[in-house]
Amino acid sequence: MFTPPLDTLLVFMIGTPAIGWVIHKKGYPKVQGIYASAGLLVAAYFLYGLSREVSEKGIVLITGPPPFNPPLGACLQIDVFSVFMTMVYIIIGLFTTVYSIKFMERDSGLTEYYTLMLGMVAGMTGVVFAGDFFTLFVFWELMCLTSYALVAFRKQKWESIEAGFKYLIMSAAGSATILLAMSFLYGMTGTLNFAALADRLANTSSEGWLYITLALVIVGFGIKAAIVPFHTWLPDAHSAAPSPVSAMLSGVMVPTGACVLIRILLLVFSSAQPAWQMTLAIFAVFTMFGGNLMALLQNDLKRLLAFSTIAHMGYIVFGFAIASPEGLAASLFHIVNHAVMKSLLFLCAGAFIRQTKTRDLRKLKGIGKTMPMTSAAFTIGTIAIAAFPPLNGFWSEMMIITAGVRAEMIIFSALMLTNVALSVVYYFRLIRIIILEKPTKVSKKATKAPVLMLIPILVLAFLCVFIGVYPVPYIDASSKAAEAMLNIGAYIDVVLRGL
Amino acid sequence: MISLSYYIACAVVLYIIGMYCLASKRNMIKLVMGLEIMVNAAHVSFIAFSAYISPGYIDPLGHSVVIMSISFAGCVTALALVIVTYAYKHYKTLDVRKLRRLKW
Amino acid sequence: MEINLIRLAGLTTVILAILIFWMLIVEYDFPAFKYVDPDQPPELVENDTSIIGQRVSRFLWNYRVIDLIAQAFVLFAAAACCMALLRVEERKR
Repeated sequence: MFTPPLDTLLVFMIGTPAIGWVIHKKGYPKVQGIYASAGLLVAAYFLYGLSREVSEKGIVLITGPPPFNPPLGACLQIDVFSVFMTMVYIIIGLFTTVYSIKFMERDSGLTEYYTLMLGMVAGMTGVVFAGDFFTLFVFWELMCLTSYALVAFRKQKWESIEAGFKYLIMSAAGSATILLAMSFLYGMTGTLNFAALADRLANTSSEGWLYITLALVIVGFGIKAAIVPFHTWLPDAHSAAPSPVSAMLSGVMVPTGACVLIRILLLVFSSAQPAWQMTLAIFAVFTMFGGNLMALLQNDLKRLLAFSTIAHMGYIVFGFAIASPEGLAASLFHIVNHAVMKSLLFLCAGAFIRQTKTRDLRKLKGIGKTMPMTSAAFTIGTIAIAAFPPLNGFWSEMMIITAGVRAEMIIFSALMLTNVALSVVYYFRLIRIIILEKPTKVSKKATKAPVLMLIPILVLAFLCVFIGVYPVPYIDASSKAAEAMLNIGAYIDVVLRGL
Repeated sequence: MISLSYYIACAVVLYIIGMYCLASKRNMIKLVMGLEIMVNAAHVSFIAFSAYISPGYIDPLGHSVVIMSISFAGCVTALALVIVTYAYKHYKTLDVRKLRRLKW
Repeated sequence: MEINLIRLAGLTTVILAILIFWMLIVEYDFPAFKYVDPDQPPELVENDTSIIGQRVSRFLWNYRVIDLIAQAFVLFAAAACCMALLRVEERKR
């Protein structure tokens, strides 16, 4: 069918309702979660095999039989960047699925929950594997549909429904914008294949319609990537969703929008590069300031973390706007680090919320005394995301700033440094509230988090420290992925010259 | 035959009408209809291009994209209407301006 | 019908935008198929309503098989989404 990792995820997605129906008759409650986690482990194993194949061949092309091949046919084009991002998706997906075995045990509809989680990971995988614009759109719709239902999952609360509706309207408007941009590209070149589009549109800098299409693409993908004028769905959706879903959305789905955006801008709009570089850099600065300034005013734990996600997406989009090998490698490394740190923070927040039933920071004061291990992991995550030296956030943020300085975007780098310093204020407010204050009545009643929830939290905290102390292999992997992204000639050759 | 520019202008006008509908209508079901209008703008554009590639012939690539995209729009509409049902159950109204409990 | 000032401003903006875009688009021609690859002729179908459906379906099955299979999974996921949202909460007391 497709490649083994994507096949595994899709087959397990279809198998989950079957397992759910069987155990509904027998009455074992946790089997669906274990089945979904097993599916993700099998997909990780196949991904390892695929990564060996990609590192030998460079780019793996999956297409139909020979008369029906690209550029007219659909294709999946897998390079190092795709494998890199899929590894992040599957690992974070695995941790959140294991966490939600215990977290969601009192909810109903667990069969559909695990089906949709696997569907979301499959959709994100397909999005980075796609070699054709319409294939990307099909998997993009898979990712979006599953995330709409996951945000509105706890439908008996008004908050989930309001946040879910707002998110659905804005995100579906983004998809419609992407479709319109796709139609203009088809009108200009007669094809929808990325390699063919890159080849045909390489020298067309004076075309007004190309700039209109560029604006539509940035708006369409920017709504999903939480760039500032289009970010208003994010705080509501991330606080109303169940915590493992927030961790997935915030840690991996929002950066996927940015990754696909930069992929398309580098491949298809390479002739308009100065225009989109400056536009993305300006949007990135607005995003950073918007996220950080709004986060200073929050009293709700998950809403504060959601605004922090917006700020970090500003850093990532700035790294992409630099468009040099160092800038792209720094952004990709920051995507890995941000996924680890932000999902750690959301999973710990979920543990706090499950034990105390409140999200208000004023009531959660001093919860460190009654939930020591979770609070220790939360502190490690907060120190890491505030970019302190021995932990992983420091390396990636400094790499982005250095890449910006080297590429002569000095004002933007100075603004990013200001933002990093500004964000330390609210991260330290979080640490002070969780550890240093006296416990309130609500936080005294909390008990320790269950073991199955603690395992992913502690592994993620360990990863934060481990990547921070020894970042070299990860920086190498990000550099290889960035090189693969910039190697447009090889990308075109595989499809058009038939290597 | 009419020149191609008129079809593209129609597609862009439909897109603007869809965006206006999303920005200004209060009824939640009208917002879902606005989404459908925006998606149909892109469909019109695809079919127009596929018909003008060469006189007397059509390009099946544009038509196949539209066929598949209509079903995606249907899925999104179905999901949106389910959420609107629950919103009516919680808020007792279909007015989207009443969904303002989440601020700042 | 109450004439709200903001509503009037919104309507005026939209009508102006529609007129301006219409004039711009008809004025500056769209570069339709300007950048087509000369070595790769597209597969064309004659413009005859009795055979278009069959030919487009054949094109879909031959060339776009990956998209069709992925779309089947998307429809399955949409059904799972609706089931997730329309489930009945068991009241455990």
